[in-house]
Amino acid sequence: MRTYVLRRLFQIVPLLLGISMLSFALLQLAPGDFLNTVAENPTVSAERLEAMRRSFGLDRPWYVQYGLYLKNLFLHFDFGESFARHQPVIVILREGLLNTLLLASAAAVVTWGLAIPLGVWAAVRQYSWVDKGLTVFGVIGLSIPEVLSGLLLLMLAANTGWLPVGGMRSIDHDQLDTAGKTVDLLRHLALPALVVGFTPLAGRMRQMRGNLLDVLRLDYVTTARAKGLSENVVVFKHALRNAINPLITLFGYTLGALVSGSLIVEIIFSWPGLGRITFDAIMTQDQYLVLGSVMMASFVLILGNLVADLLLAVADPRIAYG
Amino acid sequence: MSRGVWCLGVSAALLGAALVAAGCGGKPGYATSKYVDTHPLPQDTLTVDLPEIGTHGGRFVLAQTNPPRTFNSAMANESSSYDVTDGRLYATLVEFDNATETMRPQLAKRWEISPDGLVSTWHLRRGAAFTDGHPITSADVLFSFEIYMDDTLHVSMYDFFKPHGKKFKVSAPDSYTVVIESAGPYAMLVPVVGSVYIHPRHMLERAYRSGSFASAYNVGTPPESIVTSGPWKLKEYVANEKTVLTRNPYWCGVDARGQRLPYLDELVFMIVPDQNTAALKFEAGEVDALEDVKPENYQTYASGQEKGNFTLHELGPALNTNFLVFNLNRVRDGRSGKRIGSPHVGPVKYAWFNNRDFRKAISKAIDREAIIKSVYYGQGVKNWSTTTPGNKTWHTPDLVHYDYDLEGAKRLIAGLGWKDSNGDGVVEDTHGNPVRFNLKTNSSNRLRVESANFIKDDLAKLGIQVDATPLEFNSLITNLRTDFQFECVLLGLQSGTPPDPGMSQNVYRSSGITHYWNVRQPRPETAVEARLDALVEANVTALNPAERQRTWVEMQNLVNEESFLIWLPTLVYKVPIRNRFGNIHPSVIPHRIIWNIDKVFVKPKPARA
Repeated sequence: MRTYVLRRLFQIVPLLLGISMLSFALLQLAPGDFLNTVAENPTVSAERLEAMRRSFGLDRPWYVQYGLYLKNLFLHFDFGESFARHQPVIVILREGLLNTLLLASAAAVVTWGLAIPLGVWAAVRQYSWVDKGLTVFGVIGLSIPEVLSGLLLLMLAANTGWLPVGGMRSIDHDQLDTAGKTVDLLRHLALPALVVGFTPLAGRMRQMRGNLLDVLRLDYVTTARAKGLSENVVVFKHALRNAINPLITLFGYTLGALVSGSLIVEIIFSWPGLGRITFDAIMTQDQYLVLGSVMMASFVLILGNLVADLLLAVADPRIAYG
Repeated sequence: MSRGVWCLGVSAALLGAALVAAGCGGKPGYATSKYVDTHPLPQDTLTVDLPEIGTHGGRFVLAQTNPPRTFNSAMANESSSYDVTDGRLYATLVEFDNATETMRPQLAKRWEISPDGLVSTWHLRRGAAFTDGHPITSADVLFSFEIYMDDTLHVSMYDFFKPHGKKFKVSAPDSYTVVIESAGPYAMLVPVVGSVYIHPRHMLERAYRSGSFASAYNVGTPPESIVTSGPWKLKEYVANEKTVLTRNPYWCGVDARGQRLPYLDELVFMIVPDQNTAALKFEAGEVDALEDVKPENYQTYASGQEKGNFTLHELGPALNTNFLVFNLNRVRDGRSGKRIGSPHVGPVKYAWFNNRDFRKAISKAIDREAIIKSVYYGQGVKNWSTTTPGNKTWHTPDLVHYDYDLEGAKRLIAGLGWKDSNGDGVVEDTHGNPVRFNLKTNSSNRLRVESANFIKDDLAKLGIQVDATPLEFNSLITNLRTDFQFECVLLGLQSGTPPDPGMSQNVYRSSGITHYWNVRQPRPETAVEARLDALVEANVTALNPAERQRTWVEMQNLVNEESFLIWLPTLVYKVPIRNRFGNIHPSVIPHRIIWNIDKVFVKPKPARA
């Protein structure tokens, strides 16, 4: 097991190297560079632009730029500096990543906290109005794009004043005590987490329902019932534990996807996360910031997959990694 | 069975209700602060005459699309940073007054310029201090000029500090006097001095000497260690969330009653990347003013004024411009594989584009009124120059221009000998080539994309076929500046601050990088280009305002007669601002809503009837 984990961790290095190379190549192929952002400013002269290009190292051939980047990365663990913010890339990304993880975890709570109980409910009441109602509800959730549901919820918040209209903290956040701060954060978190968590809900719920139905048809469940166990014990203690296995794998995968998948919600809800930083960096061609954030997101995704595989081994004793 | 499920559902609902309940109350009100000014007023106060005398207290929240990228004014390169630094965190010797469009003393109490225009003497305000109480002296001014004129820092105004090719000579005979010597007469002297934001030498000199000035005062610097010279100081910055400014307790500005400015306790820039969300935040009262409202939404705001307790202020025509430009650039290096000196667009199209009557015909074929009506929702004006009607000082009302005149355009095309000989609806030139060209514009700008479609239809009436191609901004700029892969482009320019024609000299000089029709000519290629260069030079070196106006008018008329830039309408700006605030005076000139925010105050709560 330990050698397996170590091997998987070592595989991350060439994988990230490949990702960085591909991202760098794509950035080079994209037209223009960071200095295009000053294009509509009539006070900047041609000579100034050339001097700026030199100082950012953008006048050098791409392989020299990439070589220097790798050198700094491996020798000093230095991800470079953002052109626009004159700040180390790692500092900019750290904060965004934490905020994104917070949103992703809250969304995961929404997704799984609803998907498992609702899936179970639908399974034990198969073909009843509950089951059908949940299916319709899930399909609606799946088919409304995040942009629309996000804006609709924000409109509701703006018109009723029940919840804040986007952002992560209110302006007076610092004047609040710890409890107040937590409530303030949760209030801001509620709507975006609902939107991000809702999209995968339908799928997970249907999976839970299907798995449980499969298990409920097995012989050992019939045996348990025949022994005279209560329906609650049969479902929750005997059937559910076996039905939940495939969902554990999915959990690991979605963890990675959540980090990269919340860009639109981050923009609509003014959530200060990694997605927005990356988007902004791509639009302004702030190249080392783009590279850093792509690598950060990839790292989380790879780690999520690893966690998924390990969780599976923990949950199912039949699976072992040599 | 489902007791567990129900419990979960009920607790989730309870949590939701608790979160909702926790937010009730605490709306932004008319709170007055307990601010007591403990510092003595400086010897030379900057006393301002205000329409309304205010009281201390309150907060103004402005939505910003992008976060500031630095708090170092000299290193800022984008408006999201300028809005916070320039005029807010940092002050200058002389400031531009958006209301009167004149230069007005700020940290300098007065200045004299020698009759020959070469030597100017600036007298600093005694007692003016940075946010840490350290006095602002001539040493800080010298230090700031050194930064702005540094060869390696790339301050965006750099070129303007070298009139006649030589840098200013700046010296300080004493702590409160600064002398600036220019190598020759320079019309831009006062505006350029007004672009030097005073940086604290006692805080930043070490970073400057050690070569780390560019990353000093970045957004990661703790706010308490950022010392600045303006009316405001940085209180808090939360990455991608908000920037909070509070008053500089040592600021030298006071009102007629001797109360120190700014009136407001806090100025908050809230980062809201999505415009729809910003609108909802304004509706919910979380934001006090919006910039960049789309013209299609003006009507909605206009009708919601009373209910939302705000006013939609009309600021007049924007200073930003829109125009068409044809590619007359020639190949200057061998890398493209084309012969040096040959036109980038090929000989056939170059012959069309280089023909003044062709460009004039294009200008006359464009129905600008229809564009204003449909694309701008009526919220636009015709404009014929880089100084739009929004620019009071430099706008020239009766310039040479070629407005919509389809018959005239047809006559010009017929005069070229072009006609549709095969009856396919497209005219052919004298060599039988069908007249068809590509028009690129940036896809992110709705006004430009839709205008391009109108122009396509207008030119079809002339028998000219246009292929409109919206492009992503970076690609467009690369085509325009680096590889010259364009035939015709619909683009715009921002205005410099102050909006002086000298700030746009790169547009008119043949060597300029924004001289888009034929950029960076090593030497003027035609007599017209040489004349333009001479006029720019005369305009920026003349000391007599009348002489500057004369050269400016001639310059604009020359470009318009040649139709190098085919002008399109400019948007009329409107911004909604809450009625709670006094001394609100928004303007189209940069920092539109907040240019005078140190004078803005929260009005006392109206008595209930």
